[in-house]
Amino acid sequence: MKSLQLIVVFAALIVLAAVPWFGSDVLIQFGINALLLAVLAQGWNIIGGYTGYASFGNSVFYGLGSYGVGIAMVQWELPFWAGLVFGVVLAVVFAVLLGIPVLRLRGHYFAIATLALAQVMAAIVSNVKLAGQNVGLVLPPLNDDRLFYELSLGLLVIATLTVFWLTRSRFGFGLIAIRENEEGAAVMGVNTTLYKVLAFSLSGIFSSLAGGIHAYWVTFIDPESAFDISLNVKMIIMAVFGGPGTVLGPIVGALSLSAISEFLSSEITSIAGLFFGIVVVAAVVLMPRGLADMFRRIPKTRWHYFAENIRAHRL
Amino acid sequence: MDLLAQILVNGILLGGLYAIMALGLALVWGVLNIVNLAHGAFIMLGAYVSWHLYTYAGIDPFLGLPITVVVMFVLGYIIQRGLLNLIVRAPMFNTLLITFGLEVVLTYLAQLAFSADFRTINPSYAGNSFQLGPVVLPLARLLAFAVAIILTVAMWLFLLHTRLGRAIRATAQNLVAARLYGVEPRHLYAMTFAIGVGLAGAAGGLYGTVSQINPYIGAALTAKSFAISIIGGLDNPLGVIVGGLFLGIIESLTAAYIGPTFADVASFGVLVLVLIVRPSGLLGRTA
Repeated sequence: MKSLQLIVVFAALIVLAAVPWFGSDVLIQFGINALLLAVLAQGWNIIGGYTGYASFGNSVFYGLGSYGVGIAMVQWELPFWAGLVFGVVLAVVFAVLLGIPVLRLRGHYFAIATLALAQVMAAIVSNVKLAGQNVGLVLPPLNDDRLFYELSLGLLVIATLTVFWLTRSRFGFGLIAIRENEEGAAVMGVNTTLYKVLAFSLSGIFSSLAGGIHAYWVTFIDPESAFDISLNVKMIIMAVFGGPGTVLGPIVGALSLSAISEFLSSEITSIAGLFFGIVVVAAVVLMPRGLADMFRRIPKTRWHYFAENIRAHRL
Repeated sequence: MDLLAQILVNGILLGGLYAIMALGLALVWGVLNIVNLAHGAFIMLGAYVSWHLYTYAGIDPFLGLPITVVVMFVLGYIIQRGLLNLIVRAPMFNTLLITFGLEVVLTYLAQLAFSADFRTINPSYAGNSFQLGPVVLPLARLLAFAVAIILTVAMWLFLLHTRLGRAIRATAQNLVAARLYGVEPRHLYAMTFAIGVGLAGAAGGLYGTVSQINPYIGAALTAKSFAISIIGGLDNPLGVIVGGLFLGIIESLTAAYIGPTFADVASFGVLVLVLIVRPSGLLGRTA
């Protein structure tokens, strides 16, 4: 069974990697977007899914990554990889400096504090001269969608391997212990502050790299789009739709929701967003533990699965 | 000095409106433990109800406010009874997600039904104002402020002195004990949410008289309502008046002396600071 799963995952990976050689331009571009969203969902999975801290501020890391690449390439004329490194440094500094006070908050309060941070970032950056203020930055173009596709896929693989490592390392167990019972974890000797800040930073690194790749790909960044708050919600929904706290759930969620939303916006433009909202509402009611849990349990329980979920959570 | 006085008055008038915006969110959060991300969307819908009443039926926005509240109240009851009650006991995260989904749905429906154009509710007296010493008091803003404060205080008295108000407070403290004393939770939750949405509707009607509305104003208003609820604390409806005034004054001071783009930075910066220093709010009990 275990080896069968491994074969399926590898086969899927090879197919995904081959897409730029047989797919159309539209498919490749859709793929880059979907893969980067999957990276964001996977990054969120580390802090939200495994550590249990529902961050609504991961878009900040994404924006910092975008601006890391933008500032390095436009203002300092450094190569792309140096920009990625700069973006990661910014993200880690942010995660440590603001993570220490904010990660003391629990539940709703953490979610809202991170949301508030995400709200102010766009306004702050639009007043920074180095970042091009509210006009934004125009990056040197590089018309190589294949490269961007493979970069995004590579990043997703690294993020997923990291999450896989979490499921079998002391560090990962510590995070899960924090999610299940923070006081208990502290009593058992988990340095909760350190672990939480590390998880927040790790989550931030992947979001930042995704932002950096996206910035170079679209060659234009401005505060509004780089620090777009709705991106938080997107990555969270994708992770939760697929199954938070699982290795492959966020990827499945991101790819399937991207496909649904792409299909809808090409078929019925005006109500695509409406449908997205309905999917979210229905998913929370009918399959609150995500696709991963549904696929695992539905062969046994059939359609009772949905009724059981409602019965478990209704008043 | 005159300028400062004017800025402070503007901030206070804005703050009254902020208070009623946040009141519904704080009530639902405090009693049902649901952070309603669709709250701003309900404010937006309330504004559209008032706008339709005014534009198509010629009903004055202030006199028509009870109609708006009733319409929104009914909508809120249906949504809680039919949908949110299904997931009330799920992890907090799921309630955040479902209300976010609701926000998306309501925003898109509003866009389909009302178009994305900016609307304003402009009764004939909208441009009138009083001169009070050196300070100008715009009539519409003053009226909106007065109605907001009256409604907030009325809400406080309602929670303190009526049977339903006591049931709501009892449920907020201890659901199991409240049940033992005969509270029917499904109905009570729906009533509480309905009151919250009704208040959002009232806030929307008032908002429409002093500002422009379009289907997308909801998210920003939700965020502000959060900030105010946190600053004021969830324990007492009068807390949101303090939180609202505080935020209104800070915003108008920042907008005047540092720059309008920094108004939001200031308000959310204050929110983060308050959260870190006193997570239960400036007025709240210490945890």
